[in-house]
Amino acid sequence: MSEDLIIGIAGSGGDGVISAGESLITAAALEGYHCVMTKSFGSQIRGGEASCRLRLATQPVLNPNGPLDVAVALNWDDFRRFGAELPVEAATIVIYESNTGVAPDKLPLQGVKPAVVFSVPITAMAAEHAGTDKAKNIVIAGLLAGWFGIGRESMLAGIRKKFAKKGATVVEGNVRAFQAGLDFTAANPLKEDRKLSAPQSAREPKLLTDGNDMCAAAAIFAGCTFFGGYPITPSTEIMQFLEREIWKYGGTVLQAEDEIAGIGAVVGASFAGKKAMTATSGPGMSLKTEILGLASLAELPLVCVNVQRGGPSTGMPTKAEQSDLFQAAFSAHGDCLRPVLAPTSVADIFGVTVEAFNLAEHYQTPVIVLSDQEIAQRKETVDPIDTSKFQIIDRRHPSGPELTNYSRFKLTESGISPISHPGMPGGNYLAAGIEHNEQGRPTASGEIHARMNEKRFNKFNPLKNRRDLFTVEGDPEAPIGMVSWGSVAGVAREALRLALAEGLQVKLLVPTLLYPVAETVYQDFFASVQRGLFIEQSYQAQLYRIVRMNVDLPVQVKAFAKSGSNPILPSEVLERLREMVMAIQSGQQQPEAIEH
Amino acid sequence: MTTLEPVAKPLSLTKFMPGDFKSDLKPIWCPGCGDFGVVTAITRALANIARPPHEIAFVSGIGCSSRIPGYTTAYGFNTVHGRSLPIAQGIKLANPELLVLVASGDGDGFSIGGGHVAHAVRRNIDITYIVMDNQIYGLTKGQLSPTSQRGRKTVTSNFGSLEDPVNPLLYVMGYGASYVAQGTPADMTGLAKIIEEGIRFPGFAFINVQSPCVTYGMEDQQLKAHKTNMQSLESIGHDPADRARATELAREYGTKLYTGVLYRNPNPPQTYGQGVTERWDALKKQAVPRHEILNRFKPSN
Repeated sequence: MSEDLIIGIAGSGGDGVISAGESLITAAALEGYHCVMTKSFGSQIRGGEASCRLRLATQPVLNPNGPLDVAVALNWDDFRRFGAELPVEAATIVIYESNTGVAPDKLPLQGVKPAVVFSVPITAMAAEHAGTDKAKNIVIAGLLAGWFGIGRESMLAGIRKKFAKKGATVVEGNVRAFQAGLDFTAANPLKEDRKLSAPQSAREPKLLTDGNDMCAAAAIFAGCTFFGGYPITPSTEIMQFLEREIWKYGGTVLQAEDEIAGIGAVVGASFAGKKAMTATSGPGMSLKTEILGLASLAELPLVCVNVQRGGPSTGMPTKAEQSDLFQAAFSAHGDCLRPVLAPTSVADIFGVTVEAFNLAEHYQTPVIVLSDQEIAQRKETVDPIDTSKFQIIDRRHPSGPELTNYSRFKLTESGISPISHPGMPGGNYLAAGIEHNEQGRPTASGEIHARMNEKRFNKFNPLKNRRDLFTVEGDPEAPIGMVSWGSVAGVAREALRLALAEGLQVKLLVPTLLYPVAETVYQDFFASVQRGLFIEQSYQAQLYRIVRMNVDLPVQVKAFAKSGSNPILPSEVLERLREMVMAIQSGQQQPEAIEH
Repeated sequence: MTTLEPVAKPLSLTKFMPGDFKSDLKPIWCPGCGDFGVVTAITRALANIARPPHEIAFVSGIGCSSRIPGYTTAYGFNTVHGRSLPIAQGIKLANPELLVLVASGDGDGFSIGGGHVAHAVRRNIDITYIVMDNQIYGLTKGQLSPTSQRGRKTVTSNFGSLEDPVNPLLYVMGYGASYVAQGTPADMTGLAKIIEEGIRFPGFAFINVQSPCVTYGMEDQQLKAHKTNMQSLESIGHDPADRARATELAREYGTKLYTGVLYRNPNPPQTYGQGVTERWDALKKQAVPRHEILNRFKPSN
């Protein structure tokens, strides 16, 4: 039996690789399994190679992980293009299309000889039973359902529903194709039973979605009624979801002529009193920078989601990286501070997006959500979310008396001044990117500039005490501490689970609030720590460097950092944790500050 | 002549005077700047429109002209260089009830922000775009502008400009604008009239104002010269409904100073806002309560 199963499927664009994965994950979700599915494509618009990876488990899945338990290849050229994304080991069960003409003992995989290999006439089975080789995905689903015990009933129901419109003949053809897959596995059983154990929470209804859709849904929940943006991979689905939904709530989506106009319209909508959002990725973020600065100076709330991809410049648009943190924290001219939040999973991006709107409205500031391509585009089962637990915060409007001789930028104790908007009688003021006095009048006074800077910085002081924006897991007094954020936090969490199971004394800090740096949270976390490790998907280990700028960390806190598209595996992290235990015992120094 | 269209809200019964729209902030402009006339013309137009100042959002970018919102009592937003149009569109879409004005200069509107004009025009969002065109960069003290004539010597074109100027009127006609007008503070009555008419026009309205720079402008572009050179389109018998003729006349930008309405679409197309309102009405019944939005992620087979 299996508790955790990683399946990789690859083929060319028309092979139905993704739809096979989709039907599998839907069926598994319906049966109460925890699942994550990531998709990967070549850069072609259509055709080209396509792959998906599914991780199905009886326990919560924290990341897609590395080596495959099961590899399905429709053709070997396409499969091999995914390299490290679909790693095959000796223990991997390999299923491949017979018509590739490759002999089972001559798989074109370098340096690895899998013990269990099935050559299956997938295309021929599809053509024979469904009358079309388009049913290859159905045959694959049948094979996987048969060998690994996933979703037989749900998938049959899915096939009947999916093809219902095409008539009984098509439905029955596809059902036969699915059955043919099952029959093949019955005739060729695995020597070792690898069927997935029953889910721990049987038939618990779960949600199934990806990070971009979840982010957009959270925006609707938070009361967002305006989105302005420009299509850019891998963030576009946020705009697409909102464009389908927001009108129903009296909101508007503007597909702007460029990234600057997108965030420009968002600043305008916020000035007009609405909760507003934009979403983009690296290059778009660079273009939006000037208007982010405007929103900081004019103290206008907005949420800007940056779905990080490999950079700089065009970089690697379809691959995840965590290399935009410096940009999120620092990119605006002048003295400027704005909160930066990061979600760690599809489930987490709901709360993080709602929090981003709350912080934006409360502090009257732009807030950046640093998502990444993996979270954005991976499908994940999510336990039901109790939305009644989330508070929704709206900006503070001026009261009646405050509207007499209204001062938009009044220097209050908290630094937060009541904000009016056009349409509100008595609240008229001049918003501006130019420095202003309390009434909003332009000024070049150094004294006023200093006081306004102080106001704009001090208003964020309470944010650094928001301990709920951090999680600490593991042994609280551990001498070894890890820090990780974003999608990579899922890898660190799994490494922690493995380390604790081995009896290592380890703990993990996962910040949702990346910037401003909450100094005391890090100081407290590192108080017991002799050896520390930041784990990040960027060449520079950007969080590590930013925390070092702000907090006196112990010398032996290092970083394990890889450039995007180079998966960090829980096993690699575990290996480093073991080395750190040894290093503590021997008093040995860790060699480099950042290990790549 | 077309009759004046009503603005978004019915005319208020309150009577307004131009002074009600003038703030007590002292302009930073040089004495004699054309922009003084523009702000006066705008306040006169607004008094006739009679929407209270708090229902008006007045947006600008950067440049001498972009100081204007602060000199009015409306809600103002003095934004960043070149981006007044996108920001104004966001305001109007967020709250279609507002009267939204945009002020810009030739640099703001046709150079750094030039890319936004075509899109504002084609969306036909109901805002009024007033460009103070002085063929020079005044705020930064006398550099070449996109409407400066070829050969013009400035501190950044010491041996004369090697570029042809843009033609704002022809551009905007080409983009398909439904209301295009030009004025000068040398004719205050005419200027206030085309601004008022632009605000009342249902859709995107473009008004180019030849607003001279007294400090860095050319002698033949000052108000005194305007008074002799300007020619009202009405006086030459131009029919503003005649798009082909309007386009011909627009070609003379830079050589002739026509004032008045160059083009007014006799059948104004639907505005973006009207489309949005229709969509809201059509779709609002489909809205699930916001806290139920996650239900759509329940898997089904």
